[in-house]
Amino acid sequence: MRTIGRTGKTMIRALVAGAWLFAASSAAAQTRLKVVTSTTDLLYIAEQVGGNRIEGKHISEGYQDPHFVEAKPSFVLDLRRADVWAFVGLDLEIGWMSLLLNGARNPKIKPGAPGYVDVSKAIPVIDVPSGAVDRSQGDVHPLGNPHYWLDPDNGKRIARLFRDRFAELDPAGAGAYEKNLGAFEATLDRAAAEWAGARAALRGKPIVAWHTSWRYFAEYTGVDIVGFMEPKPGVPPSPSHLAGLIMTMKRRGAKVIIMEPYYDRKTADFVATKAGATVLVLPPSVGGAKGIDDYGGMIRHNILALAKAVE
Amino acid sequence: MTMRVRLSWAASTVVFGMAIATPGLAQQDTTKRVRDSLAADSAALVRELARASARPAGGAGPTNARLLPDVSAVGDLLADFSRNGSTLEGGHRFSVREVEVAIQAAVDPYFRGEVFLGFNDEEGAAVEQAFIVTSSLPLGLEARGGRFLMPFGKQNLTHRHDLHTIDYPWVLQRFLGAEGLKGTGVSVSKVLAPFGFYQELQLTAVDQFGEADEALETEEPVNKRLGNLGYAARFRNYVDLTKHANIEVSASVVTGKRAQPTAGLVVGNAIPVRQSLVGIDVTYRWRPLQQGLYRSFILQGELIRQFNEDIADPGYQGPVGNHTGGYLFGRYQLTRRGYLGARYDWLDDPDLGGERLRAGSGYLEFFPSEFSKLLLGFERVAPTGGPAYGRILFQATFALGPHKPHPF
Ligand SMILES: [Zn+2]
Repeated sequence: MRTIGRTGKTMIRALVAGAWLFAASSAAAQTRLKVVTSTTDLLYIAEQVGGNRIEGKHISEGYQDPHFVEAKPSFVLDLRRADVWAFVGLDLEIGWMSLLLNGARNPKIKPGAPGYVDVSKAIPVIDVPSGAVDRSQGDVHPLGNPHYWLDPDNGKRIARLFRDRFAELDPAGAGAYEKNLGAFEATLDRAAAEWAGARAALRGKPIVAWHTSWRYFAEYTGVDIVGFMEPKPGVPPSPSHLAGLIMTMKRRGAKVIIMEPYYDRKTADFVATKAGATVLVLPPSVGGAKGIDDYGGMIRHNILALAKAVE
Repeated sequence: MTMRVRLSWAASTVVFGMAIATPGLAQQDTTKRVRDSLAADSAALVRELARASARPAGGAGPTNARLLPDVSAVGDLLADFSRNGSTLEGGHRFSVREVEVAIQAAVDPYFRGEVFLGFNDEEGAAVEQAFIVTSSLPLGLEARGGRFLMPFGKQNLTHRHDLHTIDYPWVLQRFLGAEGLKGTGVSVSKVLAPFGFYQELQLTAVDQFGEADEALETEEPVNKRLGNLGYAARFRNYVDLTKHANIEVSASVVTGKRAQPTAGLVVGNAIPVRQSLVGIDVTYRWRPLQQGLYRSFILQGELIRQFNEDIADPGYQGPVGNHTGGYLFGRYQLTRRGYLGARYDWLDDPDLGGERLRAGSGYLEFFPSEFSKLLLGFERVAPTGGPAYGRILFQATFALGPHKPHPF
């Protein structure tokens, strides 16, 4: 057997150092909860509560229609190692979630496991259809309206749910989560004080929205949604519906159409022109527009921009 | 998109014409009524939401307290307007090609069960698929047992009614079967990511490769030796190129002995003959995340080679030699609900003694909603040595029942 040369020794040293670094980093990684969320808003709030005790990823982008997300196999890799899977619920993710969860084969985030977090369970839900539902009413949200994160009071509820679940999964961090939650709520309260004037100015103002996604936002601000671009939730606008909507807008004096960045602006512009109104594209989520990188900032942007538009 | 917008602009101009620009006193009454009813309709959703109720946090009980499985049905309707007679099975101009009933649920904490029953005029009722799946295994393995679509190639794993063309590509129809290749047996899969992207290995063993021809009888059952069963392997590689585009490149093999006809046997009329397929498939997808409701593109191709065992028997009538076939399929999204598709097929057709068959087809696909699909198809088929012919087909499919996820 030959003796190991100088290069060999250097290589061994590098290997040992590499192995040590790897072990150290994986030990550090082990202490952090791996959180995967369906939306950017849930991730932002999870990170505020989790701080440096968690590391997170989200599936859909803030500028993407959350009703239609593709179950890309690469998401399966993220979910394979997740300790927490947090999702909006109320069937918003019905088009893809089961494929990813089945593909992930991760018992920690299976339905019923503590890592499986249906965030809607913490939320008072509106628009729950009464009576029988069928699809002639459109691709309804039969369990109620899932766009609840657009009400900042629900943002706090989401944060409290994360505090509880994270503390359950990582009891050593309970104190930190509680402290982080307090800081998050305080930040939101300060922001709310800032937008209070604009919010008050919105009360009772007639507007039109593309989808029912803005219903919680309307509940919070008191803005009056007098019509929707969609005749039924999820159903694209038809000419006769838009003709009626234009008349409704004129009669009710609605001067603004709000919509998400992923809908077709041209159709909204057409209606706005006919009704003497303007179109306002609002970010429906964190990351929904350039510079909208935090949850409170997203709510503030929407309230201030809409208040300015309805003036 | 532009097409839909233009259409809706034109239509709304007409409605406005009716509602606003009509002169005369009696007509003004009608105008007012039309206007009022349109305006009232436009606020129907607002009224409905006002009637809807609210639910306190955590206030809802289980949504399926009786633990009923998900039951859904898909109807696959076809019409053939080809100039020289119908090209459909049974020679029908209008046909219910298939009704599929699916029943799916978690069996217990360990298994998920899925049953697909197929009904059609030609073959009656059949168990299309029936399997249990478990992922409660060590090493992140997933195993399934029962009857299922064989993990071979790309489009074979899509139900026929979910295709964006009317039929499977010719190479799949000839090498795998008109309704795709299914198998009854067991399959194990493992997801890997040693290089940071998604890889999956699927290994399958089934009672036999392909569907048995009931008219063929072998001296001993084909599956008497374990080595004669159908065995398949598929290796998938999926990479995100950007947030908006991705590619999958996968390879598959399947091998097994199949009963093939031969003359002059003392017992029976067939002998077990090995047949193997090797395939490679590539799928490129592009869907810009923000405009994804309205724009997307997919380009897909498969290349499959069939190998048949050499049989010395002079009375042998089964397939001989090796054959290759493939297709290239592209689909572009024009509007929120409309797509344009095209496919080119070529194949050394074992049914034509290995002669080349070429086909080209174009498709207009329209989704009124996620639960219904209308597909218009034109196809020109050119077999070597035979006359070329055209096909004009129309397909309507509808899905009843709970929302099912869209396989990627
Ligand atoms: Zn929605």
